[in-house]
Amino acid sequence: MIDLKILGILIALGYFFGKWAERSHYKSIIKREKEFAKLPTTSTKKPLGNPMVAKAELVCGSVVVSVDYFKRILAALRNIFGGAVQSYETLVDRARREAILRMKESCNNADQIINLRIETSSISKGGKNKIGSVEVLAYGTAIYCMKHNGL
Amino acid sequence: MFLTNTEEIPGKNIITCYGVVSGSTVRAKHAGRDMMAGLKNIFGGELKGYTELLGESRDQAIERMKDQAQQVGANAIVNVRFSTSSVAAGAAEIYVYGTAVRVE
Amino acid sequence: MDYKPILPERNSNISHNHPVKEFIILASGVVGFILVCFWVLGFFVDIAVNNLSPEKEGLLFSKVNINMGVKADDEPEKREAVQAVVDSLRTCIDVDYPVQVTIIESEKLNAFAFPGGHIVVFTAILDKMESENGLAFILAHELAHFKNRDHLRSLGRGIVLAALSSMLTGADSSISRLLAPTGYLGQAQFSQSRETKADISALEALNCRYGHVGGATEFFEIIQKNGQDVKEGALHYFASHPELRYRIQALRKTAKEKGFHFEEVKELFL
Repeated sequence: MIDLKILGILIALGYFFGKWAERSHYKSIIKREKEFAKLPTTSTKKPLGNPMVAKAELVCGSVVVSVDYFKRILAALRNIFGGAVQSYETLVDRARREAILRMKESCNNADQIINLRIETSSISKGGKNKIGSVEVLAYGTAIYCMKHNGL
Repeated sequence: MFLTNTEEIPGKNIITCYGVVSGSTVRAKHAGRDMMAGLKNIFGGELKGYTELLGESRDQAIERMKDQAQQVGANAIVNVRFSTSSVAAGAAEIYVYGTAVRVE
Repeated sequence: MDYKPILPERNSNISHNHPVKEFIILASGVVGFILVCFWVLGFFVDIAVNNLSPEKEGLLFSKVNINMGVKADDEPEKREAVQAVVDSLRTCIDVDYPVQVTIIESEKLNAFAFPGGHIVVFTAILDKMESENGLAFILAHELAHFKNRDHLRSLGRGIVLAALSSMLTGADSSISRLLAPTGYLGQAQFSQSRETKADISALEALNCRYGHVGGATEFFEIIQKNGQDVKEGALHYFASHPELRYRIQALRKTAKEKGFHFEEVKELFL
């Protein structure tokens, strides 16, 4: 019985703190996305508008986000019945957007980012007594255009 | 909604670019498929159950990406790339992303 | 070429169901599935038990050693005295294979039947019981379980439960560890009606052996009276047996229906 109680407490903690962390993370993500919306990012190989390129450099941003206990239990239950694992969808969505934002933050003055690629991997996958977490790496080429004299 | 994994859509012009759009799903297998896969481990061969599962997930991820592109007003997605990874024991994430554009 | 950065209003990459709702649906699905499995497998356990004769049971469990506490081996007279009561009851209960009594040192007020023809009695019972008839009732109740093969049924069900849980949640999950002991001793009583049936059989056995049913309710009355001191033992008893007051009433009612009398009881010298 004690085991079930501990399980219940962990699940409750995971749910409430996880929900709070997720909500504040999403707020921060949406705010920063608005700021960086002016930096064009594409997954194409050629820069937009064919500008004169002064400098091109590889930039990347990465983040590791961990699951909370409630998400783990939900994923374990899903594993029995199959289907979309909702709890992990928000997790990877947050991680991905955060990684792209960090990449954009690392090259503030760039004019464009091209050839964006994203890699996702999991650390330990959350097996027995291990940390379950998702790592997302976003990388691309930052283009600095030639500034015309006088501008 | 056109999807290509080339830079441009052959025969059409890109007039506006909306940035990167993406779609993702995380799917888990259920216990039944697991047992079948266990048997296949002995006999070998294609795991049809899993192929189906991941195929469906990929379709759903593409649908979500198209939905996002439509929200921003695009009518084509170029340079589409896929990525599959396993994020939890027994669950795989399918992720598809591309650049949303308007062509004519 | 223009660049128009528009951020999508609706996040289409996540599902919008409430996670708690999903959790409740999935959890109740799992629980429902387990209950159905348990009921179905219990049905098969019953069939198997009905086909397991006492001799085969004796062979199966003969090598099992009851090892769950300190045996009060330093007083073999106690064990022999209790064994004598059990043997005298056997003819009345119609259990024709040998039943062995083991006495184990414990503060808990409990006794149980274990497959293979073993009855385990805790020393707390011997200390608190005042009449031989009361002790005989407890032993007769356990013998009745033997006769109805109840110990095998609850053992079988306990094993089914533990097997199901380790199949679904892993053998070393907290849930499996919680359920494992239920398969161990068959102590988890799964049916109140079987307990009541054993009570009635014990009442009849008492009447057959002593000519009356005095002392039948002594055990339950002791637990009720010494509520404070034996609280530990009582709680332990409650966990696996039906409501005490209900049982005492049921016994008195059955005695009246069958025309049994309550007379002087024999004192217990242990």
